[in-house]
Amino acid sequence: MTRPVMPARNNEGFLENANDWSPDIAMVIAADENIQLDENHWEIIEFLRNFYKQHDMSPPSNRLFVKAVKEALGEERGNSIYLMQLFTGTPAKTACRIAGLPRPTNCL
Amino acid sequence: MSTLIVIDQPPYGSWAGREALDMAFSLAAFDQSVSLLFTGAGVNWLRTYQDTQEIQQKSVERNLAAASVFGVEAIYADEAASRLYRLMPDNTMAGVTVIKDRAALLRQHSHVAFAG
Amino acid sequence: MSDIKTLHILNKPPEHPRTQQCLEALNPGDALLLIENAVLAITMSVEAEVAVPVFALAPDVVARGLGQSPRGASASLVDFPVMVNLTASAQNVISW
Repeated sequence: MTRPVMPARNNEGFLENANDWSPDIAMVIAADENIQLDENHWEIIEFLRNFYKQHDMSPPSNRLFVKAVKEALGEERGNSIYLMQLFTGTPAKTACRIAGLPRPTNCL
Repeated sequence: MSTLIVIDQPPYGSWAGREALDMAFSLAAFDQSVSLLFTGAGVNWLRTYQDTQEIQQKSVERNLAAASVFGVEAIYADEAASRLYRLMPDNTMAGVTVIKDRAALLRQHSHVAFAG
Repeated sequence: MSDIKTLHILNKPPEHPRTQQCLEALNPGDALLLIENAVLAITMSVEAEVAVPVFALAPDVVARGLGQSPRGASASLVDFPVMVNLTASAQNVISW
């Protein structure tokens, strides 16, 4: 597979233009963070992209990210340990970055 | 302890309302009991079919729909203000409780904060 | 579009004290243009209460979910180019 051309990103690695996102781009952004996307990641990415479409925002903080996942997908996935294992660092930030969404406003 | 955040300013004119909404979400994030009351021109937050593409702002209608997901306990609307601005059940977003006695609602909460 | 004596541009919500001042200042030959939060006045049919033509900026109207609400005496919805024309065709402009 040839590596797709990486569109413009800001200094924290978030896409400048949300329309540049594609699943291939997601894989490249994830690879930058040493994450190999599997179906568990994709489930959360899809959830986040739907959330953004519905609410015009990313979950504003990590806690609210966990809450929103719990509300939608249940306790097994909506807990910080599970999400931290999938998305290293601050899960909300890492997941939004890979999902091509704006940075959660209240994440440091 | 329970907090009631009161938004009495219309959407899109200033940042005060959004900051108040942000505060409500933050309290909910830490599992604090928090509710929202819309009164005065603030009830216009609750109208359906807000299409903000052309004014290039995020839709407060969509933002507000996340309140229950995040654990905000209730969204109240003042009845008199709703009537004044012609908000009826058919053009008000789902999950809103219309209240007649605003003063009683304020007394029921241990902490009340107005936006802005 | 015929010439307007004074175009009153109002951006304050209905309960703002300046709204009342603006409505009291309307004279025959004037026009009222509602923008930003002033468009909320159309939920109260302000256009039925004043004797001059009333315009409302469409992007602000649809943003607030008022694009499809029944408007009694009906304010005319205008886009940005028409707003510019209105401003240009008025002898005076008051931005309230």
